[in-house]
Amino acid sequence: MNPEILQDLESFVPEIVLTLALLLVVLADISLPKLRTRVTFLVTAVGLLAALCFTVPLFGAGEKALFYNMVALDRMAVFFKGFLILASFLVLLAAPGSKELSSTHLGEFYALLLGVTLGMLLLASSVDMLMLYLSLEMVSLTSYIMVGYLRHDRQSNEASLKYILFGAVSTGSMLYGITLLFGLTGSTKMPAIREALASGGASGGNGMALLVATALILAGFGFKTAAVPFHFWCPDVYTGAPTPVTAFLSVAPKAAGFATLIRFFFSGMSDTTTSASQWSAFSAMNWTSLLILISIITMTLGNIAALRQDNLKRLLAYSSIAHAGYMMMGAAVLSYEGVQAVLIYLITYLFMNLGAFLVVIEIFNQTNSFNVNDYRGLYRRSPFLAISMTIFLLSLMGIPPFAGFFGKLFVFAAAVNHNLAWFAVIGALNSVVAVYYYARVIKAMIIEGGDEGAGFKLAGTSRALVWIMLLPTVGMVLFWDRIQALTGRSWKFFIG
Amino acid sequence: MDPTTVAQVIFYFFAVLTVASAAIVVFSSSLIYSAFALLFTFFGVAALYVFLGADFLAATQLVIYVGGILILLLFGVMLTHKLYDLDLKTETFQFFPGFLVMAAVLLTLTGVISKTQWVSRGERPLNPTTIAIGLLFMREYILPFEVASVFLLVALIGAAMIVRRRRS
Amino acid sequence: MIGLNHYLFVSAALFSLGVMGVLTRKNAVNVLMGIELILNSANINLVAFSRYSVASLDGQIFAVFVIIIAAAEAAVALAIVLSMYRIVKSVNLDQADTLKG
Repeated sequence: MNPEILQDLESFVPEIVLTLALLLVVLADISLPKLRTRVTFLVTAVGLLAALCFTVPLFGAGEKALFYNMVALDRMAVFFKGFLILASFLVLLAAPGSKELSSTHLGEFYALLLGVTLGMLLLASSVDMLMLYLSLEMVSLTSYIMVGYLRHDRQSNEASLKYILFGAVSTGSMLYGITLLFGLTGSTKMPAIREALASGGASGGNGMALLVATALILAGFGFKTAAVPFHFWCPDVYTGAPTPVTAFLSVAPKAAGFATLIRFFFSGMSDTTTSASQWSAFSAMNWTSLLILISIITMTLGNIAALRQDNLKRLLAYSSIAHAGYMMMGAAVLSYEGVQAVLIYLITYLFMNLGAFLVVIEIFNQTNSFNVNDYRGLYRRSPFLAISMTIFLLSLMGIPPFAGFFGKLFVFAAAVNHNLAWFAVIGALNSVVAVYYYARVIKAMIIEGGDEGAGFKLAGTSRALVWIMLLPTVGMVLFWDRIQALTGRSWKFFIG
Repeated sequence: MDPTTVAQVIFYFFAVLTVASAAIVVFSSSLIYSAFALLFTFFGVAALYVFLGADFLAATQLVIYVGGILILLLFGVMLTHKLYDLDLKTETFQFFPGFLVMAAVLLTLTGVISKTQWVSRGERPLNPTTIAIGLLFMREYILPFEVASVFLLVALIGAAMIVRRRRS
Repeated sequence: MIGLNHYLFVSAALFSLGVMGVLTRKNAVNVLMGIELILNSANINLVAFSRYSVASLDGQIFAVFVIIIAAAEAAVALAIVLSMYRIVKSVNLDQADTLKG
């Protein structure tokens, strides 16, 4: 055994824990007939928590590449690992309480959840294009299956069919782009790619090839983050999938997609030698302009399409497309400040978006509907849910003092500080447009009267979960400096 | 005959076989013809791998693609039609816009390929590759190797779960 | 002399045909065939670059992993197609339209 690999294993404990938990869940599911629902849930929960506990100490370790430069261990990777495990854990807590999933056996769901979390951890830390592609496909395949989990439901099946066909084409095209990049630079490792490009690998006639290769690779990233024009799968898939899966998709794979996009563009494609905090793209291709363009189109299209939606899941789907656009603003400025902005936005987005979806799940449990017209008068039937949803929606709008405001603040500030004030203005205008469709839901819940139905009886666990999402959304303003410090230290990543 | 000319002829034969079969896959109106044309495409690709000195890969391609994926696709074709539906005709939509897109993609790619000067950082001699690949899997590529096995496990569980029949 | 460009043209043709198949075919299994064409074209690229552009087997190893992933993807895709067929009795993509809101 090579001693280097043994050393690397010490830094790889979260992933190993997740794999072990996955194997245990599979075994438990097969072997214990009576207890298996509870045992599989417990094993998954313990596995995720243990992985989280093992992730935290990794934050202090230096930056290095593991397993022969396949994955990197740096602060940004550790940040994303913690974030993604937390997101999976919260979805795990929400899954058994959902009426849609209550009629199915959840053993495989937990196994898939562990699998997708493992894939996302690898995706967020990949520095080799092979590892990137492998982990991207791992995340995607498990997502396709989770979307189609209600295999007797027509909408769930349609959603997963559309998802897999669209996804396979996007990742296939991305793969073709990766091969072209391999041919241009002679390597699949991001540091080597960067060096090859820096020493003129893409000058002259080769610039076109680099452009085509990157455009194709962007197809894969755009698909994972649901950016325009690769967002077409998003509304249908979000609507047809079981809502806990939708909630998960809107946060976790999207975050992992952003992590790898940042890593690819920053450490694979940018010139790091000019300045410590500002990177410049290689001259053959102006990534910044392209990313800015994608960001603008994404947020605008997401917001405008959401205006006409009555189905809450579809509305939140377009809303999450728009939020991906805001996040891309942070990535487009191609600097460490922008990365910090993306990280802050993700933290706020995790709690407010999951919170909103949680309320949607609860309302569906009680009313069997996702239509905004059935949300009328919710305030009378369950003031707790109505107020919580209002808070989540206000945060999504970006209204202070809720968490969402800080995310938007940092992203717009990053743009302004890089002489892109007009970009920030477009973002602000988009936020104003978004107010309309969020406010429509609030109005229905609180102001309009609806059929007087019985009051909702919320299970204790559901109530607790909503509180878990509410507290950070409301309280983030108090811990503001801590979050800033944490993300300020997290943008450092492995250059190699 | 001059060996290089023979080699060229054989190469062109397999290249044309691959591309022509792929065209049949995409343009044929019968699903069965498409499936069998795909078989020839996979064979052609395996032959190209042999030309490129990738002996292990050519064998893997045949075993997995022809022996696995193609059989799966044929099952998919057969199981998604009624028994008496012997025609198995397929329809297309938006043929002309799709054709334009294909032509655009093809022109862009060929243009890019011919303009680019592909730098050679060394040519690998045509040695047998199996042992070298095996060693690489256990050394430089050990992480993707292990991750791929977990990946296959999860895909297996998921696929089996989806097609499982209702219990009751 | 057969060189790198010959292989790249073949793979470009396969890629374009695959894209065409994906865009124009209605039957889900046909779309899958298009996707397999795309993946094969990328593999040809990898192996060709491995032979002519780099002095190592990196491209071939990558191609092995692509084959692995393609097999898993095809299996899951067909599982989903079969599941869909059981409910809707058809796998034409224009029948998959109940989700439009």
